[in-house]
Amino acid sequence: MEEILKVENLRKTFKLSRKQQKLERTNTNVKTAVDNLSFTAYRGEIFGLLGPNGAGKTTTLRMLATLIKPDSGNAYIEGASIVSDESKVRGKIGFLTSELKLEEFFTPNYLFDFFSELYGVEKSVRENRKRELFGKFGIDKFAEVKLGNLSTGMKQKVSLVISIVHDPDFIIFDEPTNGLDVLTAKVVTDFLAELRSAGKTIILSTHIFSLVERLCDRVGVIIDGRLVALDTVQNLTAEKNLEEKFFDLYKETVGEEV
Amino acid sequence: MKNVWTIVKKEFSRFFKDKRMIISVLLPGLLIYIIYSLMGTITSSVMGTDNEDASYTACVVNMPESLSEGFERLELVEGLSEDEAKKKIADGELDLYIVFPENFLEDITAGKNDPYPNVKVYYDSSAQSSVKAFTYVNTVFEILQGIKFTVNLPVEGENIRFDLADEKNTAGKMLSMFMPMLMFALLVSGCVAVAPEAIAGEKERGTMATMLITPIKRWELALGKILSLSVFALLSGISSFLGVLLSLPKLMAGLSGGDMAAFYSAGDYFMIFGLIISAVLVIISAFSVMSAFAKSVKEAGALITPLMILIIVLGVVSMVLPSVSVGLYAIPLLGCELAMSAIFTFSITPLAFVLAIVSNFVLAVALVVALSFMFRNEKIMFNK
Ligand SMILES: Nc1ncnc2c1ncn2[C@@H]1O[C@H](COP(=O)(O)OP(=O)(O)OP(=O)(O)O)[C@@H](O)[C@H]1O
Ligand SMILES: [Mg+2]
Repeated sequence: MEEILKVENLRKTFKLSRKQQKLERTNTNVKTAVDNLSFTAYRGEIFGLLGPNGAGKTTTLRMLATLIKPDSGNAYIEGASIVSDESKVRGKIGFLTSELKLEEFFTPNYLFDFFSELYGVEKSVRENRKRELFGKFGIDKFAEVKLGNLSTGMKQKVSLVISIVHDPDFIIFDEPTNGLDVLTAKVVTDFLAELRSAGKTIILSTHIFSLVERLCDRVGVIIDGRLVALDTVQNLTAEKNLEEKFFDLYKETVGEEV
Repeated sequence: MKNVWTIVKKEFSRFFKDKRMIISVLLPGLLIYIIYSLMGTITSSVMGTDNEDASYTACVVNMPESLSEGFERLELVEGLSEDEAKKKIADGELDLYIVFPENFLEDITAGKNDPYPNVKVYYDSSAQSSVKAFTYVNTVFEILQGIKFTVNLPVEGENIRFDLADEKNTAGKMLSMFMPMLMFALLVSGCVAVAPEAIAGEKERGTMATMLITPIKRWELALGKILSLSVFALLSGISSFLGVLLSLPKLMAGLSGGDMAAFYSAGDYFMIFGLIISAVLVIISAFSVMSAFAKSVKEAGALITPLMILIIVLGVVSMVLPSVSVGLYAIPLLGCELAMSAIFTFSITPLAFVLAIVSNFVLAVALVVALSFMFRNEKIMFNK
């Protein structure tokens, strides 16, 4: 199995403001969002990052996507370091998260072209990809409608399509089905499976157990910024289902019943 | 470099397809045109009318007795030498100095026609009452049409200036007083209209982050932003400038006889344009840097305000500085305003111009570099 992502001891802390300190009832003024995280993802798999709210999933993915820098540790995507080789990493990955917005003033068609140019996609390649992806997600009918006038689901589909204009081999999806109805969510998850069969590697963060069970090959469970389990979904769900397994893990780590 | 162009294109489509944005940028120019034209019409209707019973002061030499009745509205001033009279006119104390040929009546009766007898009328085109007096005297001469003589005919080999106004300098001084200030105010308002929206707005809406995860270099993004924003600000500045320029004749109607725009050479205009571009780059970059610090468009507006005040203060400083050492031209923006003033008063030196424009460009480049470093800083780009 070929390693495509290698994460080594990633750590990220945030300074807390006075107000935040009070809210979180701590005296320390730093919050450790990600604590010494290490894992490896292999080519052609869907790797799940499972964790409750505030576990540090998004923070981890933002570091992998070079939006923020780790305090310490490193990660390599096809050998390119997220710390010292950001530009190369950016060209290799696609990143979908709710934080990344598209200008509401523009149409899907315009945005596809704009981001294709920023990613250096050839014009002929771009047009073919656009036709294929817009067709698959039903965006073609709305290609010339301003994004601001599209429904939430359609916007999310456009965001997804834009995040992979450059046909990256390594794709990071942060809660890709959030806020979508079951039909739209199915279109997205089916697409993820399709990407995997096309040999892409996907990191998928979620707190939806069924999604992990259905889709992921391996899964890392994060609680409080730390990796508490890392195995194939098969192994993790050998005795009980994922949800029950998670409650056990939570009890072990946090030390209280759920 | 290709990415810079991609960003510029995107900003252009954002701007030029949005009618509201275009209007907000071009409106000041239109308003200025309307307001100034109205002001001009009002002032000239107050100042420009020649009421029939106004009288003018004049020193007249060799006037035949029989003609004096025709000039009943001239108050004659006696006993001035030619030089004294001319000086008084230039100083605005006397309206006209009229010299008839020595044997005017005899020559006319004798039908002298090679050349015709020539009457010389000295006046000051930059002084309201002198111009009116000159017009009045000419109408009187027209009534005397039957008699063959000429007025202010240039004689070959003799170079006489009848208009005693130092027109160029008067107009230049006037323009140098208010044009640099005005232009800066217009440019600043153009920059304020576009910078916070395009930098802080994109940050606030989360669209900046989407560009930051693409392989585009941070300096390319910064440069693309600043170049396109400068074009918008420049458009706004040009619109306002046209507003001023087109309304200027109306505003100045009656204040000055000359066509002021014609005093300046193409080179002068070229220099002014260069200075404007360099100033726009500095102001847009500075506003962009402030906007990048801001969490929202609103906050950007607040952060930019002190800068705006500073620029306006610089404008006032440039107006009231008693004497200007050449070192001052090396101060960005201030040097630019001083250089504009100097161009309007025809006293610009090449060194001053180069210092003014280069200092602006150097600061603009430094600010673009600063902006690209800010784009690299997660604490600045993601400070919620
Ligand atoms: N910029 C920041 N400043 C301060 N604290 C932050 C910042 N970003 C994240 N955090 C904190 O770090 C922790 C991890 O956040 P993160 O967004 O990574 O969680 P998550 O696993 O994605 O949660 P969710 O499932 O709710 O999206 C949270 O406690 C959060 O409050
Ligand atoms: Mg999250």
